Amino acid sequence: MQISNCKSLIAVGFTLCITAQSVNAETLRLLTWGGYAPKAVVDMFKAETGIDVEVTKSNNEDMIAKLSATRGGGFDLVQPSQDRIASAQAEFNIYKPIDLSKIDNKLFVTSMLDSTLKSSMYDGKPYGVPHIWGTSGLIVNSEKAADVKDYADLCNDAYKGKVTYRLKRPTLIAFAFSMGLDPFAAYNDPVEYEKIMLQVQDKLISCKGNVKAYWSGGDAMKNLMRSDETVAAMAWDAGGWQLHDDNKAINFVAPTSGALGWIDAFVIPRKSKNEAAAYKWINFVMQPKIAALITDSAGNFTASKGADEFVNAPLRAKYQSSFDTASVDNIKWYPPVPAGLEIIEGKVLDRVKAAK
Amino acid sequence: MMTKGKSKTPLKLGLLLLLCPLLLWLVLLVILPQLTMLNISLQERIAPRIYEYGFSNYIEFFTEPLYWNTFLRTAVMSIIATVLTLIIAFPISYYIAKMLRGRAKGLLLVLCLIPFWVSELVRTYGWMILLRESGVVSSFLQYIGMTEGPIEFLYTDATIMLGLVYSSMLFMVVPLTSTLESLDDSYIEAGYDLGGNGLSVFWQIIVPHAKPAIVSGCIVVFMLTLGNYLTPILLGGKSSLWFTEQIFTQFITRFNWQQGSAFGVLLLSISSLIVWLGLKLSRQSFSKVMS
Amino acid sequence: MLNHTDFDLQCTDLVRQFDDFTAVDQVSFAIKKGSFFSILGPSGCGKTTLLRMLAGFDDPTSGDIFIKGKSMIGVPPNKRPVNMVFQHLALFPNMNVSENIAYGLHRQGINKVEIKHKVEQVLARVNLSGSGQKKISQLSGGQKQRIAIARCLVLNPDVLLLDEPLGALDLKLREHMKVELKKLQQEFETTFVYITHDQSEALVMSDQVAVMNHGQFQQVGDPQQLYFQPDNAFVAGFVGDSNKWSATVIDILSDSLQVKTTTGLILYAQKSNEKAFIIGSEVEVFIRPEAIHISQVSTAKADQNQLTATVNNILFDGANSQLLVEEQTSREEIKVKLPQTAEFIHLKKGDNLQISFPKQQVNVFPKLQDK
Repeated sequence: MQISNCKSLIAVGFTLCITAQSVNAETLRLLTWGGYAPKAVVDMFKAETGIDVEVTKSNNEDMIAKLSATRGGGFDLVQPSQDRIASAQAEFNIYKPIDLSKIDNKLFVTSMLDSTLKSSMYDGKPYGVPHIWGTSGLIVNSEKAADVKDYADLCNDAYKGKVTYRLKRPTLIAFAFSMGLDPFAAYNDPVEYEKIMLQVQDKLISCKGNVKAYWSGGDAMKNLMRSDETVAAMAWDAGGWQLHDDNKAINFVAPTSGALGWIDAFVIPRKSKNEAAAYKWINFVMQPKIAALITDSAGNFTASKGADEFVNAPLRAKYQSSFDTASVDNIKWYPPVPAGLEIIEGKVLDRVKAAK
Repeated sequence: MMTKGKSKTPLKLGLLLLLCPLLLWLVLLVILPQLTMLNISLQERIAPRIYEYGFSNYIEFFTEPLYWNTFLRTAVMSIIATVLTLIIAFPISYYIAKMLRGRAKGLLLVLCLIPFWVSELVRTYGWMILLRESGVVSSFLQYIGMTEGPIEFLYTDATIMLGLVYSSMLFMVVPLTSTLESLDDSYIEAGYDLGGNGLSVFWQIIVPHAKPAIVSGCIVVFMLTLGNYLTPILLGGKSSLWFTEQIFTQFITRFNWQQGSAFGVLLLSISSLIVWLGLKLSRQSFSKVMS
Repeated sequence: MLNHTDFDLQCTDLVRQFDDFTAVDQVSFAIKKGSFFSILGPSGCGKTTLLRMLAGFDDPTSGDIFIKGKSMIGVPPNKRPVNMVFQHLALFPNMNVSENIAYGLHRQGINKVEIKHKVEQVLARVNLSGSGQKKISQLSGGQKQRIAIARCLVLNPDVLLLDEPLGALDLKLREHMKVELKKLQQEFETTFVYITHDQSEALVMSDQVAVMNHGQFQQVGDPQQLYFQPDNAFVAGFVGDSNKWSATVIDILSDSLQVKTTTGLILYAQKSNEKAFIIGSEVEVFIRPEAIHISQVSTAKADQNQLTATVNNILFDGANSQLLVEEQTSREEIKVKLPQTAEFIHLKKGDNLQISFPKQQVNVFPKLQDK
């Protein structure tokens, strides 16, 4: 009885392993942001290559947390922001270098590709190629908070309990710029950086009364803005443009101290089981027409060369309404984060959270 | 010797096989993770990818007032929530156990149970829908003219307390009800008959009888509250500050597994200490309370 | 009207009505100071409801309760000068013996020294000196009984109510406690109201017994009265052991009745003044086994029922031994007390006997209408 039970258990186990393996062979496990792998594109990819794409939605911190838990396993392709690749690799050894020979570099906007390769460099090898870029800035309800022009304006007394932002590192950086400081210049000087962060900490603590809630998901933020419970937010451009569709008074505004520019990249985890499929996916989604589809879904532009002309006109119009030429020039692009800075930031964030 | 061995071996083997699932469960799912966590918590980061054994993660907890205060706040709030739960649950349990008969009794218990058929997340969102500025309560108050503008009920300590008490209620009501049901009415009547008033009957007869249930209910509620994550985060908003949130943050947003593990170990040991103190103070033994 | 002060407890026209059921129906009685009063009845007869109204746990629908002449209507249980010994005693398990006894004294606000003194005193009176520090679970059944009574008596109540407290004890201990309860009652000179369904408990201990059925008192009297002069068929059947037959009145003589049982046994019974019968009325006939005299030879006397019977069965039970005999003509089975004397020691099944009993011992009642 027991022996036969054991046997059947082992049999079941084997079957599971085999099925798991066979699924692996035709599956790409993608860890990415919401909207970056729309169903239409996944279906097209399946039709062309026969590979299923299993999409897991995530964010920068969660990606690193997930991969560091498995030491780089569990996914075949991930999409962290380019500034957070090298430091995570230094700390946790979770990625493998990108094989440029398998990338069709003609598909990329050259300047962006070069920038991402450079910023994701660790130990002399590049780890990422660019995919989608965008900015963080302000989302403002112009009927109720027309005078919010910069991050620091969120702390105006007029908006007590009426603003929302995240309690994450972009907020710290944004407020630093808004206060006339330059955190990026201090990236390699931890002492100086901590000084800047402590000033930001004081600012954010004094500003706490204005905050309705620290949002953690894009949908929560959009809900707050839609219901008029908040009138201004620090958030991503795409979220602002989506809100604009529902309520013309709400739109994304590039702050006077500069929007923060980010590029989300493609990186291959160290224990990727299907590298070939990962490269296939990268080359597939960077085709201009496919990239345009993703732009429609994510609300942000891609690093695909020539994709812009396929993007629908309204989105381009919204982009232009938020960014004039000066604003584009003023975008502060995140340089790679040196390992260790996040410990300083973490404590600042904890203290802000703990303050009354 | 031979016969003895023969008769004993199958019994032992059988017992061992029977215990196997329990032992596996204990070792793999309880002891092993805790030991792993302890091990991780004792590693200090020296430089990227280089770790050494040391107590810095623990020292950090005691030297950084932020963490220590967060823990203290969590523990105090949990104790308050436990006491409040007890105060609210006791009359309810007494009513169910002693005042009601037959169907009404079952119905009321089920009513207490129903909110637990949906997940904690759904329950908490339910509260958010009710209490948010554009929510049901605020709209109603404006409608009946009690207030001029919308009122925000969310994101205060009182809201956290409300959520915690609400989600703990069942774990207090169930043991209390069953214990109070086992208290024969004649004890209460005897108390009155001998000249006792409501107060002395309550303190000298009902409470001593219900004490094991009170203590076990309190332990369960305290532990659940202390380890709660969703309720304080969602209802507390920007000021929630719960110790489990610190642990989550260390693991997920700071990737600082070492610090997170140390917090986890500390949470386990300090909360155990509080429970132990509670048992000592109420002069109950753990085995009696949990049986 | 009676003078209130002669009585510790008095009830007038007490009624307790539940939705469509009358548990206690027009009950009136008065209990003399210092007496042991029992209420005897089958389960469901309303005696517990009556007791709970006396204690104050239930309110009468109508009627009044007087204790020492004061009406108890609206007086809560903790303000009444009565105390109750519960069926399962309800000794508080979280307190030791002393604390149990002291509970009521504390409620009266008596100072600690006096309480200690009183507790020791009452423990001595129930012969449990030195048991004060014992836990309730360490006591034997009889000891618990005594503590439960001591806990009430220490408060010096006007009336002590006892709700079948001996029910949970085994037979031997019960017999022993009957005597002990009676002694305690005499010693404390407190009025006891004792409810029970066990007639032996009621008869042994009581000064007065009320037999209760269907919410009404059937008869109130001392044990001998109930036993020898039952007022009605219910009391006759419920109290003591009886041969009971359904019969018809076939003749009415100057001082006696002649009745015939359904099997044809013809008996003479004393004609009483209170009960009028006509020929042909349905009756119930009761004869106690111990009222029947047996002998080997005919000892016919005037005014006696004289029958010849055959021994069917011998039920040996020491002093309580009985014979089951069969009357020869009607084949009616009759229970007869078997005296344990030399004369009958060799009696065996099938022996013929003469049985006789005076007509005064034959109780005849109108047939009970089943409610």
